[in-house]
Amino acid sequence: MIWPVVDEALGTANVSLEAVHAVAVCHGPGLIGSLLVGCGFAKAVSYARNIPLVGVNHLEGHIFSAFLEQEKSEFPFLSLIASGGHTSLYIVRNFGQYEELGRTRDDAAGEAYDKVSKLLGLGYPGGPLIDRMARDGNAEAFDFPRAYMHESFDFSFSGLKTAVKLTAEKNAGLLGNNGFLADIAASFQSAVVDVLARKVQWAIVKTGILNVALSGGVSANSGLRKKIKEMAGENGAKVFLPSLDLCTDNAAMIASAGYHRYVSGDIAKLDLNPKAYLPL
Amino acid sequence: MRCLSAKIISRSPGETERIGFNLGTFLKSSGSAKTVMLYGDLGTGKTTLVKGIASAFGIAKRDICSASFVIVAEYETSPPFYHMDLYRLERPEAVDAAGVWEYIGTGGVVVIEWAERLHGDIEDAVKVYITHLKAEEREIIIEGVNSAEFMAACEE
Repeated sequence: MIWPVVDEALGTANVSLEAVHAVAVCHGPGLIGSLLVGCGFAKAVSYARNIPLVGVNHLEGHIFSAFLEQEKSEFPFLSLIASGGHTSLYIVRNFGQYEELGRTRDDAAGEAYDKVSKLLGLGYPGGPLIDRMARDGNAEAFDFPRAYMHESFDFSFSGLKTAVKLTAEKNAGLLGNNGFLADIAASFQSAVVDVLARKVQWAIVKTGILNVALSGGVSANSGLRKKIKEMAGENGAKVFLPSLDLCTDNAAMIASAGYHRYVSGDIAKLDLNPKAYLPL
Repeated sequence: MRCLSAKIISRSPGETERIGFNLGTFLKSSGSAKTVMLYGDLGTGKTTLVKGIASAFGIAKRDICSASFVIVAEYETSPPFYHMDLYRLERPEAVDAAGVWEYIGTGGVVVIEWAERLHGDIEDAVKVYITHLKAEEREIIIEGVNSAEFMAACEE
């Protein structure tokens, strides 16, 4: 299944495999089956073409996806990665220099979206569905909890998920009512977005860093994009947002991070092992 | 003896974590069963319990978070620790395709959230059922441990 994708990518870019100087592959963190397939393929190409293999951390790819459409990365910057599998905040001082400020202690923000969407009967993936519904709802209809966890940059979305679940159960008869669903969606989204934006704001104040980069599927959320831009405006910070199709997982971000590793001479050996759990 | 079970009431996430730690400590000392199947609805505290179990094997609590996305989170401890979450695997074929069975019986500690998605049983597994009672209160039933031994281990 991977060859047709590679063929299409090369064809669209109008580049032949002979013109490729190195092959970058994501070796973690992620779904082990997918990582195995990708690594196996990349190793085969590297070996057959006799070109260097470069291993890239999935999170590193996300971090730099915010600058794929910029001329260059604006160091130092704060990087919020919010996706189905991760919610983390980093200080990025340079390529390869990451300081984790905080991460989720339970569910990722995107995961909360998916689980809430499912329990409301809206479908999968939850992000775009809830984002759409939230536009027609009242964000103050339900006072869902916001886990600010003072003195910490860590996140927690499990309690919010449970609160939505209990509200849905209490009002089971209204689950077919679009107005009710829109109010829940808007109130839930506002809770998620408030926490994400507030933590980034704290980070701006604490570090004095005025460049903010967002990435991961949740950075495609219209509510979050709006709130982060407003917050940044009030704090004199500059926001870097990937365009919508570069927010979710993509190969361009792996290639871009791989390029930096290749240039710095960080070449992987053929025994590169995929890892489901791989901190940055 | 394995048919025995323990029933505990947890009054907070902190207590659930401590119960997990006790279970982890018990598993570590018992030397036999190393697979835990977890059952409980969304928001009952399964991941919180796993944080406790994992901490008994030397894994920092903050390194355990929801594994719904990755399905299997692997920790290179000794023995290796596998935190699984089958939430997204609604069909039995998906469980097989994800390679879930390959981790079981390899000598590592395997803790499985949403174990009902396995559509199969695991010999000698400890089963934990968590039920939401009210607000922060949860009923936790642990099957497959000798209640007296487990309670004694908890008190140590």
